Amino acid sequence: MEALLANYVEKSLKQYMRRNAIFLCERLYAEFPSEVNLQLLARCYLNNNQPHSAYHVLKGMQMAQSRYLFAVACLEMDLFSEAETALLPIEELCAHVTNGAAVQYLLGIIHRDTNRMKSSVEHFRKALSIDPLFWAAYEELCILGEAEEAAVCFGDVAIHYVQEHYLGNASSYLQIANSDQSLDSSQAFGLEDLSLSHLQQMEGNNIRNICLNNHGGPNLTGPVGQITNSCCNSSFFRTPSPVLTQLSDMAPPPLIRNIRFCQNEVSLRSSTQARREFVRENESAQIRGSLFFDSGRRRSARLAAAQRSFNSTQGSENKANNLRASIKLNSGTCYSTVCKGQFQNLEEAFRATSSSLSSSADVKSVQDETVNTQLRSFISNSSKIKSGISDTINLLRILGEGYRHLCEYRCQEALNVYQKLSSKQYNTGWVLSQVGKAYFELVDYLNADYAFSLARQISPYNLEGMDVYSTVLYLMKEDMKLKYLAQELISIDRFAPQAWCAIGNCYSFQKDHETALKSFQRAVQLNSRFPYAHTLSGHENVIIEDYGNAVECYQKALHVDARHYKSWYGLGMIYLRQEKIEFAEHHFRQAYRINPFSSVIMYYLGTTLEALKRSEEALVMMEKAIVTDNKNPLPKYSKANMLVTLGRLNEALEILEELKECYPRESSIYALMGEIYKQHKKYDKSMLHFGIALDLKPSIVDVAKIQAAIGKLILPDEIEDNL
Amino acid sequence: MATESSESEEEGKITGGNQHLIVEDDLREMGKKAAWSVSSCKTGNGVSSLRDDNLETYWQSDGAQPHLVNIQFQKKVKLQLVVLYVDFKLDESYTPSKISIRAGDGFHNLKEIKTVELVKPTGWVYLSLSGNDPRETFVNTFMLQIAVLSNHLNGRDTHVRQIKVYGPRPNPIPHQPFQFTSREFITYSTVR
Repeated sequence: MEALLANYVEKSLKQYMRRNAIFLCERLYAEFPSEVNLQLLARCYLNNNQPHSAYHVLKGMQMAQSRYLFAVACLEMDLFSEAETALLPIEELCAHVTNGAAVQYLLGIIHRDTNRMKSSVEHFRKALSIDPLFWAAYEELCILGEAEEAAVCFGDVAIHYVQEHYLGNASSYLQIANSDQSLDSSQAFGLEDLSLSHLQQMEGNNIRNICLNNHGGPNLTGPVGQITNSCCNSSFFRTPSPVLTQLSDMAPPPLIRNIRFCQNEVSLRSSTQARREFVRENESAQIRGSLFFDSGRRRSARLAAAQRSFNSTQGSENKANNLRASIKLNSGTCYSTVCKGQFQNLEEAFRATSSSLSSSADVKSVQDETVNTQLRSFISNSSKIKSGISDTINLLRILGEGYRHLCEYRCQEALNVYQKLSSKQYNTGWVLSQVGKAYFELVDYLNADYAFSLARQISPYNLEGMDVYSTVLYLMKEDMKLKYLAQELISIDRFAPQAWCAIGNCYSFQKDHETALKSFQRAVQLNSRFPYAHTLSGHENVIIEDYGNAVECYQKALHVDARHYKSWYGLGMIYLRQEKIEFAEHHFRQAYRINPFSSVIMYYLGTTLEALKRSEEALVMMEKAIVTDNKNPLPKYSKANMLVTLGRLNEALEILEELKECYPRESSIYALMGEIYKQHKKYDKSMLHFGIALDLKPSIVDVAKIQAAIGKLILPDEIEDNL
Repeated sequence: MATESSESEEEGKITGGNQHLIVEDDLREMGKKAAWSVSSCKTGNGVSSLRDDNLETYWQSDGAQPHLVNIQFQKKVKLQLVVLYVDFKLDESYTPSKISIRAGDGFHNLKEIKTVELVKPTGWVYLSLSGNDPRETFVNTFMLQIAVLSNHLNGRDTHVRQIKVYGPRPNPIPHQPFQFTSREFITYSTVR
């Protein structure tokens, strides 16, 4: 009865019959109160959005899987400390839980939300090393600004690792079958002899080791040690591990080293070598492409991108189901998603081969015929799997590289990287939103508008990035489109902070700043970890001149995401207005450090430096701004202004003449030129320019200023006449 | 400024009033930063009725003329426009007729800067504080006093429904000599 009920509950869960599942599971647990059933019950609750029930049910349970589910429930309820205590000790948990990478990822999230950034980064990195296809971990690293180059994380090492993981068992299995490899035929595999748990244990160790190897850098020393400590299968992997560490450095040698290394070992090793050779035979071009780490080549880029995109898709796909369906590997939630159909066979083979390999030393049952037939099927499947893996990792690499560039505001590079995607991948909501964001940061609002509208056409339900789109429309003063967007977003999801941000932008455009502020606050309420809502609230507060609240809002945004350079900018502007210039400089510099490609930030930093009387530095900064974005007229204007103060009037005039050509209707250019001519004592020219400036309808303050200036012009004339 | 009220030939006389309050974008309401007080008021019709954005409520004075509305700022501000909502049709003898605007540092040195006579006003009445000289577009002052010197039909007390005070918007980009007018300049001037 227990098995029947458990099965039925699983089935109901799969079909999303949640109430059914909960009810039956409660009956199951009442009848057979075991911790496994309790875990199932908790899963039912979590599925039905009842984290509190899961929390109470699992409180105090010590089994690894229970602790993991308990931590998930705690996180949903924002109970960080309890979640953390549940997830420690980590290593033991990783060994027993099916998703060791997920554990690291959760710890990373907890640390990030409790302001322990460094350890958070470490955890994310570990998650990525355990599972190179864990996109969410890479994404978080990018947001924290600590991501390594995508090519490293989703590089050949990772490909190899994933391939090995899936193919290794199969290939070794195959190699042993290949007689020309001089394998000890007695080293056949007792597939049936190994228990699944033993296999899983080894799998877990292997994969963890290989993962850690693959990650390269700081993790290298760890795994080697671990490997020596691990169980019988460690010898199998001792061969590849040092090789793998080399893999992370460069591409071509590892393969050869693998083989050579293998050949030095006993039959176990030779099987590895055979596996590698086999791998090479079948996928030589592909693997060479990946191993010969040529970042310029599309293939390796694709590989990395594949991995990255895979990680991204992974997040969105139903990892768990696939994994559980195809493999029951401990380490590989991620892998399951990769190997949906194709890998199924291979994984079984892998399991079989690894188990058999590890036990080859122990078990020497010979089953040649079975080996041969299975080998043949493995050969055909493994090639598919390998190409699948490398394609996936390629995709992930491109996407990850693009995402990382965008997070570090290298927008042009991000755009270039995204161009490398296939049109199938490019024309998706996520990618187009990213492209839109890149154009937005480049102040190219037309292209941003185009990209975002395309994204909306393709996936109208995807609201991520739509807050940025609403800002683009706001800045382009397209109020019809903005209103339409806001209406659409709200109708899709009333509880999405992006929708409320769009509505707030609408109201702000109508100059109804109070309501705009309320809308942004509503977005904050819906998700207090959405930094842009805080930043927009700050902007609105500045417009209504409530600087106290504005500072608070910006600081909240920075608390959530210290790399949100717009909040740094906002704070800098407030301090600039309040004449607290040193503070302003500090904040603009922080913004500049985060986004060193924004000409607007450079412009303000330059203005602040000028206010601090550091004119040379100010000029340098303005030059940088001009070089960064030639279309931005403000740094040029400001430079002209600074030159006027420094007395270099002719240079200033040159710049202003250029500006005049491009922007003939900008009153301030003429006003400044009028000032310059006045200093040159060319009163008629000065008068002319002041007149044009007035014609162009400047603000009231400027009208007064210019008229006063004209008044002063006339006086010297009169004085000269009188003399 | 859209003023549909017609100024009669006699200087300082304003007839009629606007139904809608339309002020240039360059100006912003400065009253929120000021302390408002009145010389006298009837219970229930105090100074808050002057600032509640509700044209149904009004301030009613309760003492001798002139009736004063005092607006005091914490620092010197530039002011350009005073707008009153008064309605002869509703208030008849309570409607102010002669208004004097004074400015200064405090009660001790207020100087009259503008006098105006209203003739049967019905709506928003705009009183510009600018002088003729372009250097006098704004009044830079700590305090503004609006004095109601006399009412229509020789009424003793006065009703004023709303008062707003406007000054220029500061340059959105600090430390720039002139404000920007063209779209491209403004686009590049903010990060949002």
